Parts: sequence; structure tokens; C-alpha cells
Amino acid sequence: MEKQSAKRYDVVVIGAGNGGLTAAIRVLQGGYSCLLLEKHNLPGGFATSFKRGRFEFEASLHELNDFGSPTEPGDIRTLFRDLGVEDKIDWVRIPEAYHLITTDKKYDCEMPFGVEAFIDKMEQYVPGSRKSMTEFFQLCNEVRDAQTYSNSVNGNTDSDYMKSHFPNFIKAGSYSVNEVLDALKMPKAAQDILNAYWCYLGVDCDRLSFLHYGSMVIRYITRDAWMPKMRSHEISLALDTRIRELGGDIWYHSEAASILTDENRAITGVQLTDGTVIETRHVIANCAPHLVFGKMLDKKAVTEAQVRATNARTFAGRGFTLFLGLNKSAEELGIKSHNYFIYDTADTARQYDLMRKVSTNHVQATVCLNNAYPECSPAGTCMMYFTTMFMSDDWGNVSETDYFKAKDRVAEDMITVFERETGCKIRDAIEEIAVASPTTYARYCGHPEGVIYGYETADWDSLMPRMMMMKEDAALCPGLRFAGGYAMRSSGYSSAYVSGDLSGRQTVGDLKKEAQ
Amino acid sequence: MNFKKQIFGFMDMLRFTKLVPNRRQALASGADTPLPRHYRVNEMAKALHPGRMEVEVTAVRALTDRMTELTFRRTDADAFPFFRAGQYVSLQGSVEGSVVSRPYSISSSPREALENKLTLGIEDAGFFSDYLNRQAKVGDRFLMTEPAGEFHYETLRDKKQIVCVAGGSGITPFLSMAKSRKEGDESYEMLLFYGARDEAHLAYKAELDALAAEGALKVVYVLSDETREGYEHGFVSAELMAKYADLQNVTFFLCGPAAMYAFIQKELAPLNLPVKAVRKDATCCGARNVENPRTFTLTVHIRDKVYTVPAREDETLLVSMERGGIQAPNKCRAGGCGYCHSKWLGGDYLVAEGRDGRRAADRKFGFIHPCVTYPQADMEIDVPPAE
Repeated sequence: MEKQSAKRYDVVVIGAGNGGLTAAIRVLQGGYSCLLLEKHNLPGGFATSFKRGRFEFEASLHELNDFGSPTEPGDIRTLFRDLGVEDKIDWVRIPEAYHLITTDKKYDCEMPFGVEAFIDKMEQYVPGSRKSMTEFFQLCNEVRDAQTYSNSVNGNTDSDYMKSHFPNFIKAGSYSVNEVLDALKMPKAAQDILNAYWCYLGVDCDRLSFLHYGSMVIRYITRDAWMPKMRSHEISLALDTRIRELGGDIWYHSEAASILTDENRAITGVQLTDGTVIETRHVIANCAPHLVFGKMLDKKAVTEAQVRATNARTFAGRGFTLFLGLNKSAEELGIKSHNYFIYDTADTARQYDLMRKVSTNHVQATVCLNNAYPECSPAGTCMMYFTTMFMSDDWGNVSETDYFKAKDRVAEDMITVFERETGCKIRDAIEEIAVASPTTYARYCGHPEGVIYGYETADWDSLMPRMMMMKEDAALCPGLRFAGGYAMRSSGYSSAYVSGDLSGRQTVGDLKKEAQ
Repeated sequence: MNFKKQIFGFMDMLRFTKLVPNRRQALASGADTPLPRHYRVNEMAKALHPGRMEVEVTAVRALTDRMTELTFRRTDADAFPFFRAGQYVSLQGSVEGSVVSRPYSISSSPREALENKLTLGIEDAGFFSDYLNRQAKVGDRFLMTEPAGEFHYETLRDKKQIVCVAGGSGITPFLSMAKSRKEGDESYEMLLFYGARDEAHLAYKAELDALAAEGALKVVYVLSDETREGYEHGFVSAELMAKYADLQNVTFFLCGPAAMYAFIQKELAPLNLPVKAVRKDATCCGARNVENPRTFTLTVHIRDKVYTVPAREDETLLVSMERGGIQAPNKCRAGGCGYCHSKWLGGDYLVAEGRDGRRAADRKFGFIHPCVTYPQADMEIDVPPAE
């Protein structure tokens, strides 16, 4: 038996989630050595798939935002192009934006992609909404242009340039979604229908920043959404493959237990749970600052400012997903849409409150993948996944012996709500079933309380000030940057990839500065 | 357009400039109390999914001339995780210099697990099982994976009545399922057909009879080589099962040797049951039949270490690694659980027929499950460390 000696790395990335994978590629592309550590035996974190019988389920991706077509690429396709993975993946376009159903006001609206089509459809549902909808999209366009400018100067924006070129962006920039829509005098029903995407960001529209929501909506509606054919596992393995091509190392089943520091609080290495030490001076953490400052760094290495800044933040939604493999086709079952949002109420703030408790939460974002990609399961079958979130730690009250029954109760409620609201009877067609609870998410990805959305982007901690304070936040802990759902861009697939892109490139910048 | 929220647009502009100072202030005003080191949901995840457990044999009991029951307790914790009756664990030990492991269905109940008790009924079936059957004794230490597997009742999927068919050591998950039903953690009506050559080869008969007397299940013993009163004679045919249940309105759970699955499948074929009506427990992937098998070189990367071991074409890559003393992750040894997921770096291979449990993208990007993969040339793979 031969043995090789351990080597030191310019950068160690902790966690092979969407952010960590992207960051590792950026570090390698910058010409530095990189080791990617992952506690699970697969890359991707939530971006994975799993098999049950005849079905391969998508673990989490509903649709990839801001992707666009090959000829009119969105920011994420462009990023994938730069990373060298766009062509490693077979993409399929999602056919329509969303199908909104609310129990209280009986909305049943199918919204298309494309700004004009979206406005026309809204005018059908809510006569008189055209003017405010048109202004909404104009405003969103300005938001997008301002963000493009901000990115082009790495966040170091010129205040006068901003004021002269993007005055509406700045004037709307400190307000919530609902405050802006009210100011646009948008009819209430149109607001209700337009706000359907809010659960993708996990903050009600009274507290969700307009800039955040508007920039997401415009990216969905103008650049439509896409999916990899082989589920998000295809993206994760493409990124894994790319890292290997670039000479990077990936260690699976290798959980980072601590980040080591010297007496000056400078990072010196990473220690695994089995005691193995890897020397490095730069860490990109694809995990929660709560874990890094609360557990992974020695107490002596953690400053009061870090503790206060971490304690100040609020965990976002804890995830729950039901996966069903059905032994009838979507057509036979009458399931027409790819992507349903079903809410108890169109009032997002009230809905958010109902989501605090397991027993009062009946929200679901539900996907029937066959309606975007018919071949995703065998002929005569279809696959569905139903996702919700709990906006508190209520799931922590479930006891070990009640665990399996508690999962079944939520799953059964999801089926009941879907059948009641769509009229599609699916129960008897269940051939395979799997349930992921907050416990499952905590198990696979280690996130506190089973959180899937990082820190809540509400009120003071909204996207814009986070982006504007990127440098300042990173300065709190030199040598350490964050990627993934807890990082500056907040959660969601596209955001996690972008955060990995930013932190990876910024770490390359740190290394270059050091070399000078 | 000219967006305005307040009467004077510059007021809106001013608000924007406050975003950063507000956030800066909020971050600085967070509590200075220590950050949590534990979270309830994560503690529960750890209790339910402890990963690899250290265990010790606390009792050994002969069940039949071919089957032994081993009882274990955890030495690294006070309880086994609560699990779903029907699931399995993989037991790992060292025998004659080789690292060996095999999956076994749990025969004790989920409630017993909480009292730090877990039992396995082990039948003579190969190297490790033979060893466990004859040589394991009280005090012996092993490693054990956490309970796993999808061979269990699903309340929202399965029919109220389940028809279980056991052959040989395939009885073990059903004993656990009957106990769990009695303990109130499951809600099915259980009808068990238990096939064996003769009465002497029925393991756990006294326990099953006692559970049946308490109403936890109905059990029908089916003897192929012996005629006895109170027992059915022959094989577990559709005709026989139809005497006891409406076969169109049940979910079947099968656990036993491959030949039994083939027989039952043929028996049930005329009923045209949907796929979902029949659940089968996975069986371990064994050696492949090859005349004069060739031996190749298998190069294994584990983190920054490189090992080379001989690999016979009739044995799985996992077995070759174990023979060479390499600890590679594995659980189901049937191609399905994905725990041994490894990167293929080069060399031709074969996947055992009907056992390719890989995801579509695994095949596209060159990943394999060594537990069901046979080498056809010198091979090189990148394997995660066992733990």
C-alpha cells in the first residue's frame, strides 16, 4: 500500500452546497489551490436527487431563476457559462410562471412568462390593473439596471451616478413590496396575484423589500425559468466534475469540526471531525455564521462584534417537503400546471403568521415536474413535490416517538389541501412517498433548526443593505467569507450560486493582495 | 416614470441613505449572550440518525440450526434510535484481517431500541454471517450503521391490510412489524405467511404465536416438506393466500430469498396488481458466476491516500476493498441506498443486473456504487472515507 502526504491549500471551502461548489471553481480559476470539504457523500447540499422505486425525485429545485435562453442568457446562465458548466447540463424550459390558488379569496390564476403576456393576463383577472402593472415592470427594469451597474463596479457605486440614472430605484429602495404597490395604486386583487412568489423569499410583503422582490419577479418574468433534466443533481455533479478538471480536491464524508486560528485570530487551518488537520489561511464557509461563530471557531477567536452581529439575525423558514411518485400520468389525474402556489390567504402577513405553527400552516408550493419535462418519470406516471416552511422552531416540539406520525400528519394535510383546491384526486395513485422534515434538512446539511432559507431578509436585514455592506461584514473576520443561503445574497438557488461566485472571486482578490 | 411614495421625492431618497446605518446599528445591537451550541431539531436529527454506532453483544440465542439471534446494546450512547419497523442495520466487524459488513433486518421493535436493545436474526448465508452464527459471543464489539431502508409500512401509500410473506431469515422484519403494531406505533392489519421446510426451521415461532394471541397479527405457517395439523402445506401460492384475504385490496410485503420473490411474483401476475401493491426487501448483492475469473488491479483514492488492491472480476469492488483491508462506506450492499457512492476514474466495469440504483446524472458523470459493481479491467476509483 502506498501513501501520500497531506498538503496545504490556499483555500478550504467548507460545504459543497451551491455556494461552496461555485466558490471552489472561482478559486481554482483564479489560479489558487482549493480543497472542498463536504460532510455528506454527495455534492449539492439541497441540490440533489434521490431514487425511490421507479422514480428519481428532485430534492429541492422548483425552477432556476434568471437563467434565460442560450441566445438571451440571464445572469445565472452567464455565470454557468463562465464557470464552464453550462454545456455539461441538459436544460429544459419551464412552460409558465405560476398557478396561484388561495383558499380565502378563491383566486385560481395561471400566470404566464413574458412581461406583456403577464400584464395582459392580469388585466383579464383584474380589469383596470394595466397601468399600475406597466409601471411596476418599468420600476423593476430600473431596479435590474441599477443592480447590473452596481455589480459592474463591485458594489462601489457612485452616489451621484445612481441618483441621476436610477432615481426611482433609490426612491423605492427603502420600502416594502406592499408600500410600493400601494404607491403605484395597484388594485388590491392585482397585488394579491402579483405577490404569489413571496414564499420563494420567505418574508411577507409587509416586510419584504421591494427591491428584493421586484428584482426576482422581473428575472422570472422576462428570462423565464429553467431546470436541468436530470434534476439538480446534474448541476451539482457538473460542478463537481469541473472542480476536478481544474485540479481541485473534493473530500466527501469529511465534516469540518473546527476552524483553527493563531493567537492573533488569524486562520491557520481546518480540523475534521476525525482529527485530520488541513493547513490553510482562507476559508469559505458554505454554512451558517451561527455555526462558524458559535461552534467551529474557538471561543477566544470570536469577537463581541461577531457574536452581536450573529445574534441580531433571524432564522428564516424551516423546510418541509413531501415527494410523491404517482402511478397515473399528470393528464389522467388532471394536474395541468407545473408550479402551484396554494395559500390559505392572499394576505401575506397573515399567512406568514399562520406558518409559525405546524398545525395552522397549510401553505404549499407544489411542482409537477412532468408538466415541464414529461420524460422525468416512466410513461403513465408522474412525480410531484410539495414544499412548505415553518416560520418558527415549532417542529422542535415533535418527540422522537411521534416523529414518523408527525411527518405523516403534515404530508396528509398537504394532499388534502391539494385535492380540495385543485379537484385532482391523487391519494390512490401514490406508489412512492418520501417526506423531508426540518429534521431531515438538519441531518443532511447541518443547518440550525432545519432552516432552508438562511437568515430572513426582512426589514433592516433586507437584500440591499446586505449587498452594500458586503465589504464591511467580511471585515469582521479576515480570512473568512461566506457562501450559500446564509451569505449576502440570501437563499435560493440563483442567490446561492451568486454568493459563491462573489465570495470565491473576493477570496482570490484577498490572496492577490497578500501576494503583493 | 417618476416614482414617489412621500409627497417630496427627496424624502424617499433620504430614507434610502439610512438603509446601511440602520443595519449597522441593528447588527451592533444584537445580544452579546453566547451563541447556541445546540438546536432541538439538530439534536433530534442526531438521535434519529447517529451514523455509525459502537455496539456490544449482550446475548446469543439459537433460533434454528441455521439461525442465531444476537442482541446488542450501544456502548457509545444509552439508546438506539427510534426507527420504522421493517428497517435494517449494517453490522461491521473484522474477521481474519478483512473488514466485513452485512445488512440485517432488525427483529426487535422501535420501542425496544429506546431501551438500548436491538436484535438481529442471522442466518448462515456467507462468510460474515457464518462467523456471526458460530463464533459471536457475549461481549464482542462491532460497529453498526443507523437503521435505514424503505421496507416499511407507509400509512399514506399502503392499504390498511398488509399481506406479509416470509421465507427463511426473511421473518425478522415482520417480527419487528408485529411488535410495533402491538405497541401502537403502526396501524395496519397484518397477515403473515411464513414458509419453511418444516416446523423445526420456523424461527421465532413462540414469539409470533404470542403476538398473534394478543391480536397483533394473524400468522399462517406454510410447510413445504412436512404435513402437520394447524399448518398449511406446500408453498405460499396465490390460491392459498386468497383463502385468507382479498388480494386485490392489500399491500404485499415480501422478505426472503430471490427464488421466493420470483415464485410469488409469478403467482400474483394473473391478478394484474399495480406496481405499488408489492413491496420487496432488498437482498445483498453477492458474487457473480464467472469461470476462471481474472484478477485486476484496483487503485483506490481515499482523500489524499492511494491504495492498490487485487480485484477479482467475480467479486464486487466493495468486496475487493474489504479483502484488501480498506474501509469503504457501505450500507445496503444491494445498489440502492447510495451510501457507497464513489467517483469512477477509469477502467471498464459491469453493474449487477437489475441493481443499478444510480441516479441518471451519476451515470452521466461517472459515479458508481461499488457494492454492485464488478471490474472488467484494471480500475481506478475515488472513494469517500468510511466515516
